Amino acid sequence: MSQVDHDAKRDQFEREALVHLDDLYGLALRLTGGDETRSEDLVQTACLRAYQRWDQYELGTNCRAWLMTILRNAFINEFHMRDRRPTVVDYDEVGERSVFEQVGTEDPESRFFENLVDERITAAIEALPEDFRVPLVLSDLQGLSYPEIASALSLPVGTVKSRLFRARRRLQRELYDYAREVGIVS
Amino acid sequence: MISPGDSGSDRMHGPRGTDITCQEALDRLFEFLDGELEPEWMERVRGHIAICRHCWPRFDVERVFLDHIAARGLAPTRSRRLERRVREILRNAAE
Repeated sequence: MSQVDHDAKRDQFEREALVHLDDLYGLALRLTGGDETRSEDLVQTACLRAYQRWDQYELGTNCRAWLMTILRNAFINEFHMRDRRPTVVDYDEVGERSVFEQVGTEDPESRFFENLVDERITAAIEALPEDFRVPLVLSDLQGLSYPEIASALSLPVGTVKSRLFRARRRLQRELYDYAREVGIVS
Repeated sequence: MISPGDSGSDRMHGPRGTDITCQEALDRLFEFLDGELEPEWMERVRGHIAICRHCWPRFDVERVFLDHIAARGLAPTRSRRLERRVREILRNAAE
């Protein structure tokens, strides 16, 4: 490829893909639990891979989704490569009750979620232990099915289901406690 | 939106008109909302919450919660340093 072609490819990539950098960084932060250095490395890896495969991208289709898939796969590869020590999670500590039991009568539609700022929600996701956070991000932010998550993380479907359940309960509890603390709910 | 039911429910047996109990429905709450149940169970749970006053608000609260997480959990985050670094990597890759 001539230098002129390289420049044209780079210009096109920058125009189409780099507008999604903040979205990619947001996803990386959610996956890594707010680790800025790891997240930046992940976005760089994803951008480089996307650039190298730019000829496979069909202009005009959903570039953001395409980039997010590349970033997600880069994270999953890294997730398996890392020397992972099991996260110490006290499973018993995670309540299984829904916040509905607290807010049901006063706020039956849980409108308190609406009054939480986005940053509070993203911070609560990032604060979840990795075992809970990763299945939750893949499911609830990326729309993967239970079998897809199980395959990505090399876990049985039943484990994915139970971690997802606990992740959601813990996240819900965290947001509800915060809402009470700042007076959004009494 | 999940519609409210109108019958009184017996949690051990479920409301009249459904063939599953409240407990059986609630045990499948997230799988139902995630669309991960077998079609037959999707229908049984859907049928149950359509007429069960005890269960439908519980399903609805979880649906609202998941909608908020999906809509707001991916809020973009700005990093100026990152953009500079990515542009540099692309320049090096093109050389």
